[in-house]
Amino acid sequence: MKTTKSVNINPQPVLNNTQEKVGGLWQDVIKRLKKNKIAMFGAFIIGILLFTAVFAPFLSPHDPENGILTDRQQPPSSKYLLGTDSQGRDVLSRIIHGAGISVQIGVISVGIALIVGSLMGVLAGYYGKWMDVLIMRLVDIMLAFPTILLALAIVTILGPSLKNAMIAVGIVNIPRFARIVRSSVLSVKETEYIEASKAIGCTDIQIILRHVLPNCLAPIIVQTTLTIGTAILEAAGLSFLGLGAQPPMPEWGAMLADSRGYLRQAPWSVMFPGLAIMLTVLGFNLLGDGLRDALDPRLKE
Amino acid sequence: MPRKIWIIALIAVLCLSLIITGCSNDNKKEVEQPKEPEKKEKVLVFARGGDSVSLDPSNATDGESFYVARNVLDTLVDYEDDNTNVIPGLAKSWEPKDKEGLTWVFHLREGVKFHDGTPLNAEAVKFNFDRWMYEDNPYRYEGEAFEYWGYMFGGYPGVVKEVRAVDELTVEIELTQPFAPFINNLAMPCFAISSPEAIKKYGKDYFKNPVGTGPFKFVEWVKDDKIVLEKNPDYWGEGPKLDKLIFRVIPDNSARLMELQAGTIDIMTGLNPEDTKIVKEDPNLQLLLRPSMNVGYLALHNEKKPFDNVLVRRAINHAINKQALIDAFYAGFAKPAKNPLPPSLWGYNDNIEDYEYDPEKAKALLAEAGYPNGFKTELWAMPVARPYMPQPKEIATAIQQQLADVGIQAEIVTMDWGTYLEKGEFGEHTMYLIGWNGDNGDPDNFLYVLLDKDNAKVGSAGNFAFYKNDRVHDLLIAAQKETDQAKRAKLYEEAQVIIHEDAPWVPLVHSTPPIAAKKSVKNFIPHPTGGESTFWKVDIVE
Repeated sequence: MKTTKSVNINPQPVLNNTQEKVGGLWQDVIKRLKKNKIAMFGAFIIGILLFTAVFAPFLSPHDPENGILTDRQQPPSSKYLLGTDSQGRDVLSRIIHGAGISVQIGVISVGIALIVGSLMGVLAGYYGKWMDVLIMRLVDIMLAFPTILLALAIVTILGPSLKNAMIAVGIVNIPRFARIVRSSVLSVKETEYIEASKAIGCTDIQIILRHVLPNCLAPIIVQTTLTIGTAILEAAGLSFLGLGAQPPMPEWGAMLADSRGYLRQAPWSVMFPGLAIMLTVLGFNLLGDGLRDALDPRLKE
Repeated sequence: MPRKIWIIALIAVLCLSLIITGCSNDNKKEVEQPKEPEKKEKVLVFARGGDSVSLDPSNATDGESFYVARNVLDTLVDYEDDNTNVIPGLAKSWEPKDKEGLTWVFHLREGVKFHDGTPLNAEAVKFNFDRWMYEDNPYRYEGEAFEYWGYMFGGYPGVVKEVRAVDELTVEIELTQPFAPFINNLAMPCFAISSPEAIKKYGKDYFKNPVGTGPFKFVEWVKDDKIVLEKNPDYWGEGPKLDKLIFRVIPDNSARLMELQAGTIDIMTGLNPEDTKIVKEDPNLQLLLRPSMNVGYLALHNEKKPFDNVLVRRAINHAINKQALIDAFYAGFAKPAKNPLPPSLWGYNDNIEDYEYDPEKAKALLAEAGYPNGFKTELWAMPVARPYMPQPKEIATAIQQQLADVGIQAEIVTMDWGTYLEKGEFGEHTMYLIGWNGDNGDPDNFLYVLLDKDNAKVGSAGNFAFYKNDRVHDLLIAAQKETDQAKRAKLYEEAQVIIHEDAPWVPLVHSTPPIAAKKSVKNFIPHPTGGESTFWKVDIVE
């Protein structure tokens, strides 16, 4: 036992070196990302989103859930910058409060997908053999369903609520992470430093946490950013179908569903929540694309 | 080389399919073109949200089925054009044979023929009644239950003892007890007379092949698309002015209005109240209003906590601002309701003072009932637009907010329409949005169906509040047996006082459903029962 411990200390400097290299890589990445104007635009949108999400109570001019019925379907004016919906609620205030809900959806559902998916991917990629077959066939089965259909089925089983919609969107996105992590793990696994760690007697957990995962980080980050966008879109879709956020919660998809019947009378109550969803998803997609370019070693100049 | 052949073959197939689709388009145009001369033939296209379930009205329960059938078949007696006063139909006159009104004699019109050429006589009327009344009748086919007979006459055979054909044109109907709503009930479209020969001929397919004596003959039914009727030149009354009457199904309210504006349809029901403005501003369209004979209400489950406490029920009555709902979601086409009965009916008690909108009073009542901080509950909302509630989800959201103001946290629950009604009949709800459109202009049709303990049976409840008050029950039964209308009105007025005190519902609105039509449509008279049997009067004048 003692010998293994003393051996364990040895790779420490090696690790430090790699970490420094990683640090260098990240600085590089940020530098390249900053040069990418489109990606920075995406980051800017996300920045605004996060800002409104955090400061929603201070930013919104009206109560997002309690409207004034006599002020229903007012066109945009100085009192209601983006107009009011069919319940007389201020569309701007609802969009501002909806930002927080969307961020929450993005973080929680992608969190679920990230943790479970990465775990599955690492297990499949690192241990291979029957474990790989078992996990990857499961992932194949999940991928065989159209995502929204699978999410619908899960929400129907769990019951319609925002929490369950987040769980459903999380589960639906697990296969993407599992696949990406597995493929990265497969290539990292064959590298010499892993063989070296094995030779000096590192445990599997140490190798996975210290060597394998840090080297798979780049694709995971790209995938996470891109998936937050689609997760928000999917959750909005579920809310649109009445299976996600329940009234009077100011969720963007639910706002669309509530107002779609009034496209002719009050187009603003449909247009602005739709624009909010579009911009948010666009922001995450642009940033994700930018990150992918920045992290791609082949594009290094 | 073989690859090239494949590509050529593929291109050939593509070209062919293009040609074929092109042809089919041409065909369609050719089919549509003869519509122009048909227009001169006076074709009226009527559009609505849902299709008929059956064209045999005696075996249907939904308004859309009655809507078409009442133009093909006639009832013994009928309603006046725009109210529920009874006028002669197939029977030119009728009178009670005895003083108590136990036996009624009907004298049929002479020379009336069914569309299949067979004569309308006393035997034919008896044949129809026997088919509705007796569960062992040989002409009741698989799946036929004649629900409305049971609803209106209290079972099979219910209050009707016997129907006799006295001679060729005289029918006698004997009752087991005096039954005041009897004549009014007979004017309902579900008690229309079909040709016995047609029933025998088509058997269980009769519902797709109705044969009656009405102003229009049935031509064709394309499910979920259209029902085509044509003029009956031998109609016993004044002949119809239209040559063809087509009922089309267009589920979406906005899409239906767009078709009306485009001119492909002539009349539409189910207009969004907001859209009345568009109709008013359109120089080619006219706005018609159906006289109000309905009630939209919020039923509170009287047997479930906390709604078993009358203070809580009254508090909710005080918490809801009906006028605000009407202004917002009915575009003014409704009146606030204080009684279950609509004000257009006799027996309406106008002395009752409504629970005024007063959130402070509601809070005080809740505190008195032991809920100073309110409570959590469910608010069930219909998934479909109804004439008495065109936007149930919006109304539910507004009520949710008004309840939140007095501390009641209500979660909105909704499901598909069939399930919604079924679960309601089983009493699975707490607060339940629903409504009722009167069928025959008798207060019994509202109060007995919606608030009597007889109709609060789990599984088939029409009394969604599960309100059981013995005093109300006694009054309603007494009113059924009483034949003097003034005395009946008194009984109903008394019942409404008790119902108001007990507050089993929040009566919300009596709506006036708007209908849109082209200006060229003349003499279309909306009827309060929700369907018109006066299409024979309708004309198109360009």
